[in-house]
Amino acid sequence: MHSPELLKGTLQTIVLKVLQDHGKMYGYEITQRVKELSDNRIFLTEGALYPTLHKLEGDGLLKTETVNIGRRVRKYYSLTASGKSLAKERVNDFVDFIRTMAAVLQLRMA
Amino acid sequence: MSVLNDQHIAHIIKDLNHRGIVADEVREELIDHVCSAVEEEMAGGSRFLDAYHKVLRSFGHNTGLRETQKEILKVENKTTTLMLKNYLTIALRNLNKHRFFTFINVSGLSIGIASCLIIMLYVLNEFSYDKHYKNALRIYRVNGEIKFGGNHWKLAVGPAPLASTILNEFPEVDNVVRFRSQGSYLVRAEGGATSIKEYNVNRTDSTFFKVFSVPVIEGDEKSALSEPNSVAISRSIAKKYYPEGNAFGKTLILDNQTAVKITAIYEDMPSTGHFKFDLLVSMTGFEEAESTNFLSNNFNTYILMKEGTDANALEKKLPALVVKYIGPQAAAVLGGEFSMDKFRESGNILEYTLMPMTDIHLHSDRTAELAPNSDITYVYLFLAIAGFILFIACINFMNLSTARSANRAKEVGVRKVMGSLRSHLVRQFLTESFLLSVFSFVLAVGIAYALLPLFNTLSQKSLILPLAEPLFYGGLILAALLVGVLAGLYPSFFLSAFKPVNVLKGNVALGMKSGRIRSTLVVFQFVISILLVIGTFTVDRQLNYIQNKKIGFEKDQVIVIKDAYALSENLQAFKSEVLRNSFIESGTISGYLPVSGTWRNDNTFWPEGTQPTEENMVGLQNWTVDYDYLKTLGMKIKAGRFFSEEFPSDSTAIVINEAAVKQFNLEPDPLGKKISTFSGTNPDGSPDVNSIVSLTVVGVVEDFHFESLKQHISPLAFFLKASNGSVAFRFKANDTQDVIAAIEKTWTRLAPGQPFQYSFLDEDFGRMYSAEQRLGKVFVIFAGLAIVIACLGLFALTSFTAEQRTKEIGIRKVLGASVGSIVILLSKEFGKLIIIAFLIAIPLAWYGVSWWLDNYVYKVEVGVLVYVLAGLVSFLIAWATMGYQSIKAAMSNPVNSLRSE
Repeated sequence: MHSPELLKGTLQTIVLKVLQDHGKMYGYEITQRVKELSDNRIFLTEGALYPTLHKLEGDGLLKTETVNIGRRVRKYYSLTASGKSLAKERVNDFVDFIRTMAAVLQLRMA
Repeated sequence: MSVLNDQHIAHIIKDLNHRGIVADEVREELIDHVCSAVEEEMAGGSRFLDAYHKVLRSFGHNTGLRETQKEILKVENKTTTLMLKNYLTIALRNLNKHRFFTFINVSGLSIGIASCLIIMLYVLNEFSYDKHYKNALRIYRVNGEIKFGGNHWKLAVGPAPLASTILNEFPEVDNVVRFRSQGSYLVRAEGGATSIKEYNVNRTDSTFFKVFSVPVIEGDEKSALSEPNSVAISRSIAKKYYPEGNAFGKTLILDNQTAVKITAIYEDMPSTGHFKFDLLVSMTGFEEAESTNFLSNNFNTYILMKEGTDANALEKKLPALVVKYIGPQAAAVLGGEFSMDKFRESGNILEYTLMPMTDIHLHSDRTAELAPNSDITYVYLFLAIAGFILFIACINFMNLSTARSANRAKEVGVRKVMGSLRSHLVRQFLTESFLLSVFSFVLAVGIAYALLPLFNTLSQKSLILPLAEPLFYGGLILAALLVGVLAGLYPSFFLSAFKPVNVLKGNVALGMKSGRIRSTLVVFQFVISILLVIGTFTVDRQLNYIQNKKIGFEKDQVIVIKDAYALSENLQAFKSEVLRNSFIESGTISGYLPVSGTWRNDNTFWPEGTQPTEENMVGLQNWTVDYDYLKTLGMKIKAGRFFSEEFPSDSTAIVINEAAVKQFNLEPDPLGKKISTFSGTNPDGSPDVNSIVSLTVVGVVEDFHFESLKQHISPLAFFLKASNGSVAFRFKANDTQDVIAAIEKTWTRLAPGQPFQYSFLDEDFGRMYSAEQRLGKVFVIFAGLAIVIACLGLFALTSFTAEQRTKEIGIRKVLGASVGSIVILLSKEFGKLIIIAFLIAIPLAWYGVSWWLDNYVYKVEVGVLVYVLAGLVSFLIAWATMGYQSIKAAMSNPVNSLRSE
């Protein structure tokens, strides 16, 4: 498990990238997907995920659609056009950041 | 993957709700999330309840769940549109719920704003005068000031040769133009049968179009007025006399004798100019215009400065010009010992100054203005009134909002407990005040639109709402925001500052006692109202005083027939024929009448036998009249006699007024004394020193007012000589229509084709004070509005107080209080405030009133009565407002107010 401190700044990037790769997803699905991709090392808590989703939606980067499944309502998130371009940008930024950090911390990446 | 059945889902929904997940924005999403997680667990083989509790644990139970909800809500609340919508909904519901409060606020505010709007239009219009000329900022008028002996003139005119002299002497002057007013003209088209009287006629130099950028439609603006007897006319005049549109090059006949050729047609001058001429007659070939005499001032002189030059510097050079050119001429008239330096040393003044043209409309009130001007004081007064009214309306809003705090304190408490921050509440309350403000503005524009025609008649303007102007809407929106903030800021901070613990326990000190600020505001409102009431009373009393003062002549029952010169040789016949009517008592032919706007002629005299010097010369009004003048107009002889046919020598006799007796030091026995003047002029127009004539005083007439009561009565002398300006008839109390009809019949026979113009002397007299009358009316209206708005506020305040004290009143009544004592109890607080307001208003009003009355030489005594009356009126109105609410509260059955406890 990674420290939540480390995750904090990357949360939006993770959400955007996962949505970019998988199209529309609902909240629980995103947590599961991230868990799977990170080999159970990253758990997105609900308290962090949903505020992030709402914020991205408010900023116009995500759009939502709701589907009724029996007695419950499922809310799917997907990227808007500006969300898509931001997703790319964020990932590139992050790669840059890793490189810089590697240089700063004198690491040799495998 | 196993799927939860409905029962399970119902359980989850109920349980989560129980644990505090209630917000619409998160509920469904979290339910779905929990369900999904539970399904996943159950797929691993767990039973439903175990799976559910495991999922809950991963959330962090109740605290975790609620934390998640709060985080999401926080994000949501930052998304402004949503919150704004929320504020709006709640504001609308609130305003709708308290309709009475909303109504009072909106009506007060919108009346206030509408008044402001109209006044702003008026003020902007006043400030826009003369700005439309291209060179407006480079045009200056030459003003004159002359003071010697007992005379003091401030003139809007200068000597004829001054313009050309300034142009020649000073290279920084680009051009000059002069006007010479000669009153109205009778005008007809060549070949036309009837003359029409035109008032806006003036003579001007050919440089007119170079100085003033009046667009010329037909004709060459460079040469238009350079020929003698040429005339430039406005578009509407061209259409009036030549409706077929072929006026250019045609001829007009002025006063039945002079033919002038139309050499230019120009666009009508806008009404926002200090002059508006319909006909401009060429000055070329006009003898007086070419005079070199510096001692008579008859020409309104305007100069156009070159770009980048300094008018102040030019003004400083003018005294030297006076010495160089006027000095020698004055010395020639006054004797060899005269010198300009000596003249100035003994406190006399002869100077010319420059006034920016754009200042004339609001800052100039001199002798011989081209047209009466407005006054900056009235503009300021109007602005102050507008500000006051708006302020009163804003105060209403603040007071009502804070007074209502009682009803809203609980709401604030609950909101705070639920986690509302103070900034949220401030925003909530500001939204409400914005809504009210915007709504009031919309209504105000409607009110202003409806009332503008009324105001236009009152103020004699043609103002319109600039509805096509984007700037207007921008300004309105900005003003709406400003008023919203002004009115909403204090209440919103006041209300949002409540401590939830206190409010919810019911501990907030409420009602009138808490509001020191509120009391101050009420006092302020009533100070303003009382001031306006006293102002209204004062203006009204002064006007009455003027109208009814003993003015020294009988202004009633006199009809004045104007332009008598149109009768030419039939003048005497006209008079005697009209006199044959039994209802005509007497008649007199003279252009000089004791109301402004009729003829005036000023000459200098000195006591016979002395050298004329600047000390003993007196400016004297010379009125040429006939034998019947005194009888017709009703002045009183104080000593001696008036002119009479029994004395053939009366052609060299004069009758003077008391002011002249004093100026000439003719006491104790003025009769038989003589005064002298120059009777002839040199070819250049200056007085001929060898032509002294002396006249004998045969009578003294009691002082009578012949100008506005703003001025002193100046020295005046009657001469027996024909003067064909007008004919005045005194008639018996009778049907005035018959009188007019009879006179007109005679007129049309003796002066065919000439316009019959008449007026009544008392109306002419009243017209001298039309500015004051307008001021009076405007004062009444706006003072009334201010009081209405203030009372609206007071009405609402009392009703709220009464509402809050229902229980108290109920208990008092049960314990035996009478209706009267309760009414007194309720009115006492406000009564105190109004008395305080009265005490504050009195010194302010006293100061303002004496300042305004200082304009008048003859003024009414504003007694204590006016102040007492004003105080009483506002107290009564306020009390009547409160009384209704108080009595209603006092009369109510205590059972109703107490049974719910």
